[in-house]
Amino acid sequence: MLFLQTNAIADALNSSEWVFPIAECFHIAAFAWSIGLIALVDFRLIGVGMKRETASEIARATAPWTLLGLAVVLLSGPILFLSDTRMYLHNPSFRFKIGALVIAILFNYTIHRKVALSDTSSAGVKVLVGVVSLALWVSVVFGGLFIAFA
Amino acid sequence: MSILSFFHWVQSTDFMSFIRESGLTYPIIMSTHLACIAVFGGMIVITDLRLLGVALQNRPIADVVNGLRWWKRLGFIIMVSMGIMLGGSKAVDYYPNPYFWTKMSLLFLIFIHAMIFRPMVYNHPEKLDASPIIPTRAKAAAALSLVLWTGVVCAGRLIGYYEPPSQKGHVVRAATK
Repeated sequence: MLFLQTNAIADALNSSEWVFPIAECFHIAAFAWSIGLIALVDFRLIGVGMKRETASEIARATAPWTLLGLAVVLLSGPILFLSDTRMYLHNPSFRFKIGALVIAILFNYTIHRKVALSDTSSAGVKVLVGVVSLALWVSVVFGGLFIAFA
Repeated sequence: MSILSFFHWVQSTDFMSFIRESGLTYPIIMSTHLACIAVFGGMIVITDLRLLGVALQNRPIADVVNGLRWWKRLGFIIMVSMGIMLGGSKAVDYYPNPYFWTKMSLLFLIFIHAMIFRPMVYNHPEKLDASPIIPTRAKAAAALSLVLWTGVVCAGRLIGYYEPPSQKGHVVRAATK
């Protein structure tokens, strides 16, 4: 990974003092967008929010917009990472965050999706999946912020 | 009392001093602020997307607006409480920060937005559903909402990038030694 530290991408990223903050703004606005849309499904699974819609209606309606947000998050994230790979790789909060992110994404597109789209799941399963999803995404946000404090 | 002396007083209270000086409290409050933006921000996004007519088109606007109204307010209260603790504990540092004032100005514009569009749009979503097409005033409210909230998020992040002139001097002096 060491070559990433001195590559052309890192040079370009560090050449302007504005590249990193702007990438960060995209990253934050887009994760608020996509996590927030996932949270709408979570809240409905738990039984609050848009109660006149089913979880599957909300999940289907938000899916393309969530994916759009995640795409921006997953494009801006590596830009931030490449600016200082060595620092990030040694940062315990970053490692925690990436671990939580991988689990959150896998959970979102497997169990979460399955339960949200099948309105026949039991209430207990729905609540559990909603709570786990919220906890995973909040962990990702906490891990991300603590990179600056670790 | 000037704004600056008020900021000095806020920052020096026991409560704000505790937040600033205890190691983990500050980042935990900041993470909670950010997590609230993510978790509750989606409620604003889906409302705006529905008003623009690009999501949940086959469901009434009233379902979205009425279903989320009180949850949005709850989220807003938590977010603002955390924000006051973050800003209050570093109030004197924030005073010369242009991004802080940009963020406050954008929040004020959001207040104006609410004053204008609540009676016109959000308080009567059934009227919007009765219309054969989504009225322009609803689409305008949604578009402005997305722009203003994105601005708040970005300005909020940039607060952390401002270097006061005195500290900038330090960096320059250190570099030229």
